[in-house]
Amino acid sequence: MGKMDKIFNELEQIVGNRVRMNASDLCCYSADASQIRGMPDFVLFPISVEEVSEIMKIANKYNINVTARGAGTGLAGGAVPVKGGIVLDMTKMDKILKIDIENLLVVVEPGVVQVDLNEALKPYGFFFPPDPGSFATCTVGGQIANNASGMRCVKYGTVKNYVLNLEVIMADGTLMNTGSECQKTSSGYDLSRLFVGSEGTLGIITKATLKIMPIPECRKLVMVSFPSSEIAGKSVSTVFSAGVMPSACEILDKTSVDVLLKLDPNVILPKDGDVIIFEVDGSKEAVDSAADKLKETLTPFASSILVTDDPDEMKKIWAARSLVGAAVSKLDPTKTRIYVGEDLGVPIKKLPEMIKKVYEVTDKEGLLPMIYGHIGDGTIHVGQFIDVLDQNDWDKLNRAADALHLAAIEIGGTVSSEHGIGAARGKYLKTQCGNSFNAMKSIKNALDPKGILNPGKLGFD
Amino acid sequence: MNFDKMKYGQKYFPDVDVRDLYRCVSCGNCRSVCPVFEVGGWESTNTRGRILIARNLYEGAEFEEEIFDSINTCTTCGICAKTCPAGANPPALVEGIRKGLVDMGKMTETQKRISETVDEFGNTLKSEEKRNSWLTSDIQVPKKADVVYFVGCLDSYRYKETALKTYKILNKLGVGLLEDETCCGSPLLRIGFSAEKQTDHNRKQFIRSGTKTVVVGCAGCYNTLKSNFPELEILSVSDFLSKNIEKLKSAGLKKLDITVSFHDPCHYGRDNSIFESPRKIILEICTLKEMKNTKEKSKCCGGGGGVRTGYNDLSIEIAKRRWEDLPKGVNALVTTCPLCVRNMRDSNSNPEIQVLDIIDLIESALE
Ligand SMILES: Cc1cc2nc3c(=O)[nH]c(=O)nc-3n(C[C@H](O)[C@H](O)[C@H](O)COP(=O)(O)OP(=O)(O)OC[C@H]3O[C@@H](n4cnc5c(N)ncnc54)[C@H](O)[C@@H]3O)c2cc1C
Ligand code: SF4
Ligand code: SF4
Repeated sequence: MGKMDKIFNELEQIVGNRVRMNASDLCCYSADASQIRGMPDFVLFPISVEEVSEIMKIANKYNINVTARGAGTGLAGGAVPVKGGIVLDMTKMDKILKIDIENLLVVVEPGVVQVDLNEALKPYGFFFPPDPGSFATCTVGGQIANNASGMRCVKYGTVKNYVLNLEVIMADGTLMNTGSECQKTSSGYDLSRLFVGSEGTLGIITKATLKIMPIPECRKLVMVSFPSSEIAGKSVSTVFSAGVMPSACEILDKTSVDVLLKLDPNVILPKDGDVIIFEVDGSKEAVDSAADKLKETLTPFASSILVTDDPDEMKKIWAARSLVGAAVSKLDPTKTRIYVGEDLGVPIKKLPEMIKKVYEVTDKEGLLPMIYGHIGDGTIHVGQFIDVLDQNDWDKLNRAADALHLAAIEIGGTVSSEHGIGAARGKYLKTQCGNSFNAMKSIKNALDPKGILNPGKLGFD
Repeated sequence: MNFDKMKYGQKYFPDVDVRDLYRCVSCGNCRSVCPVFEVGGWESTNTRGRILIARNLYEGAEFEEEIFDSINTCTTCGICAKTCPAGANPPALVEGIRKGLVDMGKMTETQKRISETVDEFGNTLKSEEKRNSWLTSDIQVPKKADVVYFVGCLDSYRYKETALKTYKILNKLGVGLLEDETCCGSPLLRIGFSAEKQTDHNRKQFIRSGTKTVVVGCAGCYNTLKSNFPELEILSVSDFLSKNIEKLKSAGLKKLDITVSFHDPCHYGRDNSIFESPRKIILEICTLKEMKNTKEKSKCCGGGGGVRTGYNDLSIEIAKRRWEDLPKGVNALVTTCPLCVRNMRDSNSNPEIQVLDIIDLIESALE
């Protein structure tokens, strides 16, 4: 019996028929939503922390790489086993173990899908705020490992603000907890935060205790169009300077508006330029007053302003907005959105500069970008789309992505605002982080000395 | 992207639209809708996995038997296509891949059996009976008619009472029958075979009867006839009867004191936007309480795409999940396709709730 068959048999003893190694199943786990590809040797579904621990012990014994995977909606190849080994699909560990309103927390397994968690919390009047566009599919584990954020993070913060404790299986199969059910702690290194954004390179998250928030009484959208996306970008700091804290602040340049209207032709949206959708939330009075202040502040910059507080209308707008990035083919069926160079982040005041740079870079390559994203926290998603059957288009796209990443670093920004580094952006991390990159590497070596946890990620190897 | 490798696909999978194949951005949104994935859980049972496998095959990857459990488990329900942000059409890709594989001689025993059965018997049920054995002698079938009722295999052989009830009503509205109807070919086309023989046979029948309009009971037949006979008007039974609702009322259609729910067959609803006519009829008769997922978002019964025959357990499990959408306080689940009737009946665990073809409801209201 060959080594791989022997390992398969040992894995099978742990998970029964929840392990496979045939080529067609493996190929389905060779990709996420990025362009990164890598074939695993085994795919398996653990259903308990004990199983994860046993699997890690085998991996440690045989020196096999292990890549955790949630829904595989990551945009940086985080869940792609670029160096082979085991893919640990965590989606069958999907139980909501505890909803504890008095303590303002939930305890969940990592495979719980974001939308299911919020559906379960709704009857209690609570929610877990980080809401990526992929909320209908992405898992809490993937969100934590990527420090994901979403439309409402401008006010509510990203996943890192919500993690109280993580149960983690380490590279050698041992179990540890990074925190507790306390809302805060001042006891040594903040290991919960260390694991947030660690992209499966330090351990496998098997349980998470998360802080939750009350659902606001009211929400209102103020949708403002601007003559250019640079002016739109500038308006964001003006809004903050005026003392308004929107609960969402999403830019959609003209192309993104056109794409969104293809996704749902019936949504109400200004159609005369680049748009920012501001959402305000809170009590009725607070919402009305914030919306009025927004209108007053933005009128000098705006081409037009539309306001709605119709819940169905708002739901439709957010649903279409969440998928806009993937939908460019609806505008031009010969073009496909390719997620590269898509997740830039800059300090808020530098937004107009970054937007200008995006147009310069893409103009140079003759590509038409779409700009959208959570501009309120400095995120700029750049949608680039090409004819995938044209090699020349691929070359242009990759050059543009590289230039965009370097430009973001140059102006003091980040190559990933929320999607993560994975294998797609590894080569930029050292340049962006300087010496702290070495500290990260030391941490990685200390916690995973054999380098079996998600190798090939974060630019470490 | 390896353009050289794609030449293999162009040669062996000519029915696959290469642009559509690479249109998928792997966003994973289909994980939230694919009914097979909901049961299977493996990416290979999800739309995105099927597309990755399809790309591999297209680029010349070695074939292995396990591919069937991915490619052949798609019910072609089309909900992924409706919700895919990139605008991909996965069921068409799946059918293109099935066709390419079949043409290379790669098929499961079930596929082979279905093809041989339809070829030999002209129906999917291996029945040697006359196709219209359900017809009673008291009914006068017009020799020639502009409008004919296309009965379909399931109603011709398994649900003869549905065929009879339907035709009794249609006959009063001047509708004829084909002299020698054969399988529409849908079961073959869905699983990768061509159906030229069946299409040609039925074409001759339509010409002979002077058909201008075809009234169809089964959603699979409807879809297939609509794409194969663009020159004819193809109507579902519910479309036709809702157009004739005043005549039904004159014939004594009365209100029933029941509440029903309605399951939209994928090929009528999502594929052809037939949402209103069945509801109009139901509302004339009784109270309608919608299922949780309805119309465009209606979930599949699990029966289509050859899945019921090839993967019966999976098919029934999908139907069981569909039952979870049933609202409380209904007496029956009504639908308009015999395949949905069959799968929903076979998966029904509540004897209090009946699964009715819409024609059963109409007939009760006419009694
Ligand atoms: C259409 C679309 C819209 C998106 N919008 C947003 C957005 O608005 N904001 C945003 O932040 N992101 C967004 N994303 C990116 C992505 O959806 C998020 O990063 C999401 O959190 C990934 O979750 P997942 O379950 O798919 O994780 P995966 O992609 O499966 O994995 C992501 C990373 O987490 C690791 N991981 C997964 N589970 C575990 C675990 N249990 N233990 C340890 N490591 C684990 C993996 O190894 C990998 O490194 C979007 C993606 C798409 C396709
Ligand atoms: S088929 Fe559509 S929804 Fe599914 S992964 Fe591909 S692009 Fe996304
Ligand atoms: S057509 Fe239906 S069964 Fe087939 S991949 Fe799409 S959603 Fe799944």
